Amino acid sequence: MVLADAFIQGILMGFLFALISLGLTIIFGVMDIVNFAHGEFLMLGMYTAYCLSISLGVDPLVTLPLCGAVGALLGLVSYYGLVRYLLRGPMVAQLLGTFGLMLFLRYLAVFLWGIDYRMIKKGLLVGKSLTVGPFHLDMTKVVCALLSLVAFTVVSWIIFKTRVGKALRATSINREAASYMGIKTERMNALAWAMGGITVGIAGGLLANFYYIYPMVGLLFVMIAFATVALGGFGSIKGAFFAGILIGILETVFPIIGHLLKTSIIGPHYKMTIVYLAYFLVVVFRPRGLFGWEQ
Amino acid sequence: MVMKKGLFLSLLVLAVAMGLLIGPFAGGVAAKAKEIKIGVIYPLSGAFAAAGRDLRNGAELALDVLNNRYPELGISIAKWEGIPSLKGAKIKLIFADHRGEPGRGADLAKRLIMDEKVVGLMGCYHSSVTKTVSAVAERYGVPMINGSSTSPVLTKRGFKWFWRTTPHDETFTKDLFEFLKGLTEGKVRGLKAVPKEEIKRIAYACENTEWGSSVAKVIEQMAKEYGFDVVKGILYSAKSPDLTTESQALVAAKPDCMLFTSYISDAILFVRTLKSMKASPKVVWGQDAGFEIPDFRATLGKDVHGILTRTVFIPKVVKVKKAAGKINALFKKRYGTDLTGASGRAFVALQTWAHVLNAAGSTDPKAIQKAANELFIPAEELIMPWGGVKFDKTGQNVLGTGLIGQYQAKGGKVELEIVYPFDLATADMVYPFTTWK
Repeated sequence: MVLADAFIQGILMGFLFALISLGLTIIFGVMDIVNFAHGEFLMLGMYTAYCLSISLGVDPLVTLPLCGAVGALLGLVSYYGLVRYLLRGPMVAQLLGTFGLMLFLRYLAVFLWGIDYRMIKKGLLVGKSLTVGPFHLDMTKVVCALLSLVAFTVVSWIIFKTRVGKALRATSINREAASYMGIKTERMNALAWAMGGITVGIAGGLLANFYYIYPMVGLLFVMIAFATVALGGFGSIKGAFFAGILIGILETVFPIIGHLLKTSIIGPHYKMTIVYLAYFLVVVFRPRGLFGWEQ
Repeated sequence: MVMKKGLFLSLLVLAVAMGLLIGPFAGGVAAKAKEIKIGVIYPLSGAFAAAGRDLRNGAELALDVLNNRYPELGISIAKWEGIPSLKGAKIKLIFADHRGEPGRGADLAKRLIMDEKVVGLMGCYHSSVTKTVSAVAERYGVPMINGSSTSPVLTKRGFKWFWRTTPHDETFTKDLFEFLKGLTEGKVRGLKAVPKEEIKRIAYACENTEWGSSVAKVIEQMAKEYGFDVVKGILYSAKSPDLTTESQALVAAKPDCMLFTSYISDAILFVRTLKSMKASPKVVWGQDAGFEIPDFRATLGKDVHGILTRTVFIPKVVKVKKAAGKINALFKKRYGTDLTGASGRAFVALQTWAHVLNAAGSTDPKAIQKAANELFIPAEELIMPWGGVKFDKTGQNVLGTGLIGQYQAKGGKVELEIVYPFDLATADMVYPFTTWK
């Protein structure tokens, strides 16, 4: 019973991890750039939901499209204002560039909102639980899981079924060849950043319904997002989805096994160890990740 | 030519050596006449910045009270305008940010001692950081006064340069069990005796660094002494993005009392997660820190109704402490919040530094060490409801005591009321805890 509960909670958390990682993997897939500021995009999505729901007095759920819009804008501004120039520099510049963006956005948030913890207290989902039989599930997480599914379906559809998606994939496989074929690769890059921004902005807006909002909050999630993307295979949409869920399950089910065996050796304090161990094993034995392409 | 070069080199070496020898002394004399530097190592940025701000405010208010005149406050340092026995020398605080990282704390301590030539150190809030910083201070023979780290181990290491003004977690956890015992004996204001069977099952979740893991041990030990059953004990990482599993394990154990040793973000996350699981313990208690920082009640609002927290300062103590009322008013005017256990103890730590320096009459470490070991600050000087400040051989203040407060939502506002010690109680206790059902 407890195990079943842990399993369900794990899957719900996994959907959230997957949604957060989606943007990261899109950007990496198309451009081979790791966006270190991804966690800060998430944080700004959360602040967007918070500020709009407070100032307009609307339900935080209503602000989701705007969170997505802010995310898209953030992605585009980051791309056209910074990343485009970084591409001309060496690899190190690309790494340090988004790292700098991360610090800039984080302390911009400190400047704008201070270091107070904030929380959305009123809303359709806030503090609500869904009771299914013996299980109490956080409403926000359930909605989050649904939206995560929708987001993955839409993104997969765009990438695999549309012309634009074809162009994106072409850019991702071989930038030069793609540009010879008349694909405007610059625009594809920008599109990747916008899509990454939208998904993570929406994730932030949802997360704000049950999580505290704080300038450094992104750091907590981005570590898991990196592990998720690496585990699933850099740039793989399917990989991010299944790896996210796998991590969610590992993280919640593993400590409960300790509880059931009545041992404190396997406990919550090692839950991240097991996640990163899985990541480590995949990197060693299958460097391209679970669903990554063979180089 | 070779000779000349050799002579030049040896002269140079001599000059450098002289410089090294004279340098520190010259600096020391200059500092003595004008200002006394104290290095303050707090978590000023990162996840613990909210606590750091609170601590810094407390220390800066004490500094202002010491260096300027506030005769209306009625405590000695408010009349001093500096350190009287050092010709009115002013204290200067040099803040450094450890971000909750023990290694970083130790580096900062070294830097403050070597580069800034601080006379002493203060900090660090996190027991884990205080542990490494005090080890550096000990190695260099620099006095350190700690105001708010409560791991019992810190004063059990035989250190000669470390003093702690706050009571530690053995005292606080004993308070909790005395309180629970009182609950079964009908001593709690507004309640009839609760049968022990009703509150016997205890589960705890403690963060897994120095502080939390030492508290976990104390809880286990005291539960045995007082005849309670620990049905679940969890150590967890305070930096975890999700506490679902931890909460689930707690709920699955069906405890009557849930005890937490948490910093701020994990405390908030626990409350939110447990509420979503409709957890229904009868008593919820937090070991200060996260449960006591102003952000805790500000973010969670009425979800904290009925939660207990141990602390050392509750604004309601002004009823029994005159000095506390005036200083709290000054603090509130300046920073917009009431004093808390964190800011209050930062105030007392700097106040203790001032008394120690005044008694020492010098910034010489040996003189400071002697003065600290012989120090006595009477109760009426303090904003805390303590018997005063007096250190034992280990450097622990033996006159400190704790309080247990309860958050009570009253007409949209959440107040922290005293429920223990029983004779200081300011409100009837809310029992059982039903807020998350």
